[in-house]
This record gives sequence, C-alpha cells and structure tokens, in this order.
Amino acid sequence: MRGGGLKVYAILYLAFLYAPIVLLPLFAFNDGTVIAFPLQGFTLEWFAALLDTPALHEATLNSLIIAVSVAILATSLGLFAARAATRYKFPGKPGILGFIMLPLVLPEVIVAISLLAVLMQLGLDSGLWTIILGHSLLCMPFSIAILQGSFANMDQSLEEAAIDLGETPLSTFRLVTFPLVLPGIIASLLICFTISLDEFIIAFFLSGNEPTLPVYLWGQLRFPARLPVVMALGTILVTLSVLLLVVAEFFRRRGLKRAGLEDTGGFL
Amino acid sequence: MKDTTPPPAIITLDDVHKYYGDYHALRGISAEIRQGEFFSLLGPSGCGKTTLLRAIAGFEDISSGHIQLNGRNMEGVPPNKRPTNMVFQSYAIFPHLSVAQNVAFGLRRTSMSGDEKKRAVAEALEMVGLKDYGRRAAHALSGGQRQRVALARALILKPKVLLLDEPLSALDKKMREQMQVELIKLQREVGITFILVTHDQEEALVMSDRIAVMFEGEIAQLDDPELLYRRPNSRRVAEFIGMMNFLPADVISVSDGRAEVEVAGLGRAELDAAQCPGGAIVGAARIGLRPESLTILFEGQSPEGGRSAEGVVEEVVYYGDMTYYDVLIDGAPNKVSVSMRNMPGRRVLERGAPAHLAWDPRAMVLFS
Ligand SMILES: Nc1ncnc2c1ncn2[C@@H]1O[C@H](COP(=O)(O)OP(=O)(O)OP(=O)(O)O)[C@@H](O)[C@H]1O
Ligand SMILES: [Mg+2]
Repeated sequence: MRGGGLKVYAILYLAFLYAPIVLLPLFAFNDGTVIAFPLQGFTLEWFAALLDTPALHEATLNSLIIAVSVAILATSLGLFAARAATRYKFPGKPGILGFIMLPLVLPEVIVAISLLAVLMQLGLDSGLWTIILGHSLLCMPFSIAILQGSFANMDQSLEEAAIDLGETPLSTFRLVTFPLVLPGIIASLLICFTISLDEFIIAFFLSGNEPTLPVYLWGQLRFPARLPVVMALGTILVTLSVLLLVVAEFFRRRGLKRAGLEDTGGFL
Repeated sequence: MKDTTPPPAIITLDDVHKYYGDYHALRGISAEIRQGEFFSLLGPSGCGKTTLLRAIAGFEDISSGHIQLNGRNMEGVPPNKRPTNMVFQSYAIFPHLSVAQNVAFGLRRTSMSGDEKKRAVAEALEMVGLKDYGRRAAHALSGGQRQRVALARALILKPKVLLLDEPLSALDKKMREQMQVELIKLQREVGITFILVTHDQEEALVMSDRIAVMFEGEIAQLDDPELLYRRPNSRRVAEFIGMMNFLPADVISVSDGRAEVEVAGLGRAELDAAQCPGGAIVGAARIGLRPESLTILFEGQSPEGGRSAEGVVEEVVYYGDMTYYDVLIDGAPNKVSVSMRNMPGRRVLERGAPAHLAWDPRAMVLFS
C-alpha cells in the first residue's frame, strides 16, 4: 500500500514531538518524588506546593509584566511596519523588511549575548525592561507576519472609500482599518504574549536578579526533590500556551471570515 | 425652440499632466465636463482613465495643470473635502458593517438628526432597488447588490459629481445591460454629473451624453456618441469605436475643404469638409466606411443614386438579427465587412455567392 510508510512516519514523528509533553502531566499528578515509572498514584500535592512558593510568584509576576508589555510593544510596532510594508513603496523596502524579520532565523543565543554586550557597554543595569526589549525584538517578526496578512487581505479602496465619504485619515483608521485588522491585532497580541512567556535564553542572559518563570524553573532543576513541582508548573504552562494559540487562531480565522476571504494558511 | 447653449462646466481640466516616476501617465488633458451630463472616459487598458478619475477625486496629485471643480481650483484639496463621490471598481463595501450602515457612512459628518439619517438611508436604498436590505450583512451580497449599495452610499451625499470606475465590469452580461439602463435612469432622476470610466465602447455609446476617447494619456476625441461613431477624427478612434472598413483612396482635388476622391473598388465620391476631420491633401489616403453603410442588393433592387459595386461573398457570420458578410469587392485590395438586417423574405447569401453592393458617399470618412 502506498502512503503506508508515510503514515507510520507521521505517527512516529508526532510521538517524538509530543510524548515528552504528555509525560509532563503524567508526573505532575504522580505521587512520588522520583521521575520514573511505574507511577505511584494520584496527587495534587505538587500543584499545592506551587501555591506556597513566594519566589515562584515573583517570577510569575515578572513574566506576566514582561509578556504583557512585549505583546503591546511588539504589536504596536508591528502594526506600523506591516502597514508600511503593504501600503507604501519606499526605497530599500525589501532590505529593511528583511532586517526586521532577521531575528526569526538568528540564533537566540547570539541575540542575547549581543544585547548583553550592548547593555554592559552602555553601563546599564539589566532588568525587566531589558528583557522586554529583547523579547520585542524576537516577537516583532511574528507580529509583522500576522498583521501583514491582515492588511494584505484588506482591499485598499476601503480606506479610500471612507476618505471619499468625508472621513479624515485618522477617523478612517478608527472606523474602517482598525475594525478590519482587529482580529489580526488580537492574534498578534496573544502570540507575542505566548512567545515571551516561554522564552528562556534572552531572559536568562538579561534577567539579572529578577528571574522570569522559565529562568526560575531552570534554577529549580538543580534540586531533584523539586522536580515534580517543576512538572506541575510545566503542565500549567503548556496548557496555557496551547489555549492562547487556539484563541489567537480563532481570531485570525474570524477576521478572514468577516472580510469574506479564503483561508490561506496560518499558525494552526 | 430648444435651448441649445450647453450647460455651464462643472469640471474644467486644464493641461493636466501626471507622472509616475518617469512614466508619463497623463499627457496634457484639457476638457470641460458640463453640469448634469453623463460623461464617459473611454479607452484601452492602461491609457490613464483611472488615473484621471482619481486625480479628479483627489486621490492622485497631478504633476502640472489645473483641475477646477464647481468653479474652485482643487489644488491641495483632499478627497474628503471635494464635492465628488466615487463608486470604486471593487465597490469597496465595508464588510464589517450592515447595508444600512454602509449607506449611512457618509452622513456621519453631516448635521442630520438620527431620524433624518434613517429616512435618507431608506430613500437611497429604495432608489437603487434595495428597499428591504438595510439590515443585511454587507459581505453576504451578490455583485449586483454590492454595486447598488455602493451607488446608494455615494449618492446619499448628493455630490456635485459622481465618479464611477468601471462599475459594471464585474457583472455578467445580462446584469450589466440591466444596470446600464438603471444607471441612465438614475442619473436623469438625480441630475448629478456622472463621470464613467469604461473600456467597453458599446457601454460608453449606450450611456453617455459625451465621450472622451483616450489613448496613452491623451484625449484623442471628445464628442457625443453619434458624432464619435459617424465622424471619428482618426483611424485609431474609428477602429476603437465599433467596426470600420478601410479602403485605399486617392484624393484627386481639394477645394473649399471638399475633396474629390477615387476609392479603390468603389469609384468616384465627393466628400464635404465634415467628412475630412483631419483635413484633406491631394494624394494617397484612406476612406473609412461602417459595415451598415454598405448594402447588398437583392434581385430587383437598384441602388439609390446609382452607386454600386460588384464583389464576392467570402465569409458569412449569422447573428440572428443580423448577418455579417465579408465581401471582396472587384478592384479592391482588401475585404470589407457588410452588415445586413435579417428580414422576412430576405435570404442569407452563401459563401462564394456574387454580391451586388450599394454604397453611399455621405457615410464615408477620409483619413490621411
Ligand atoms: N501608482 C502607480 N505607479 C506607477 N504607475 C502607475 C500607477 N498607477 C497607474 N500607473 C500606470 O499608469 C498607466 C495608466 O494607468 P490607469 O490605471 O490610469 O489605466 P486605465 O486606463 O485605468 O487602465 P485599465 O483599463 O487597465 O484600468 C498604466 O500604464 C499604469 O501602469
Ligand atoms: Mg482603470
């Protein structure tokens, strides 16, 4: 049978991709301090332990502050870039856009080290805001990719029609452009939030003495007894990430439908 | 007696040029568009029709020249401050709004009360035949319905000039013909000046009071449909509007603008000045003759005025109401097309049959 081999390959591939993630909740609910089979029984102890770890709460708060700021900053900047990219011709446009999209393929370690070097040269302290800047750099390409799709899907004469009917460029943006790209904006906010929340390397290099959640988690790995707690936290993070991605995709598709367009890809 | 002085100009175009970088898209457009007329910009793809329309609307800055609208120079006036409204080729219906919200969009900036707005929207929708469609979602409309919404939305503001960029090109043939008639009626009803962009010569002839034929950023001829069809001022215009036969001719003498010509295969003809739009010079030239101004004579018929020619039918195309024959006239170097209305008792000739033709010198146009 043709395609049989392909099917086996696909199943193996998915297993390889997701089996470790399935292990996460398995051990998060396992009543034993050692990460090994056989499973010992069901417990919520590790989740409860999460609740009375102040350092964890601080890290979570840091991560949330960073993720929210990054989502807003990267999306706002992405909005300008995406609009310029789809509406205007200007000299050096491909080069400029290429530069903006570069972090997508640049090794994160390099970005992180360079940022750290710059900060040290400038004699600035690292802190939440440096991570926010680093993450924004990382998220911009995603934001632009999503928003460019939204702008490209929008008939340019819609904006002209609004102006023709007496609106100013500003009110046209509010009445026509914004509602039509809003699904893209929401999708971009959610995806940037998710990327920032999970990001480790830049956060690790730039966090100083204010760890983010992933950095905190990494620190906990040194204590084997804390491993099940880490598993519990990981479970929560994975669930949250998937949830956010699904919501983001929902908004992206709704945007397409509202504009009466075919779906031509996306992240899910 | 009918008042023959034309109404005053609502738009004056004075030597309008437009460059896109190095590309010279509009090359000195001058024209007056009269109050209340149905004006068409007709030309092949890429000749600058849309550019000119967008320049009038204010979406394109012109490189030099002047555009006067309603007695006011439009330089530096943005589109939202011009007394024009536009029906876009894609209709540009706001997909996130209902039909009524779309139509009411332009009223946001007026001082009308809510009730007045509602009434105006209802009136506008009724005018375009979409009476009960107000609450529909705009993205769920058919092409013809979108077009009507776009019309209602533009007309509700009672602009001085309505600009339409190929508004019918997205519709199928039946719908297009129906909308042509409706647009003409609508224009007469509201009395607003319409400027229509089209590349369909039939559409322009059917709908317009006057037509500007454009080639490569220039107006080649500006006339009413009848003159444009009967007296095209160049071979190019003649070929673009309808079908035109060309035969080589010799201009024998010219006096007082009247020209004596010897037409290949047909013989002597005398043409008056109006038939020589480009002037007449003694020497080789061409005459143009529409297919319907050549007639095939059947048994017993004789040509009025005795102008006739002999030839052979080389091709027959039957259209139901009409038959088109390609006839090679004895002594002529090329075939000519002859159209005949099919009537009871008139038979359709077959290929190879001899054709006895009558022709009328008054229908000829001389091109140098
Ligand atoms: N923004 C632009 N930048 C550069 N060139 C342009 C631009 N807009 C139009 N042109 C060029 O100007 C010329 C006239 O364009 P325009 O759109 O006015 O043609 P048109 O007569 O409306 O043709 P069509 O029937 O295809 O719509 C074309 O050759 C086109 O390529
Ligand atoms: Mg055009």
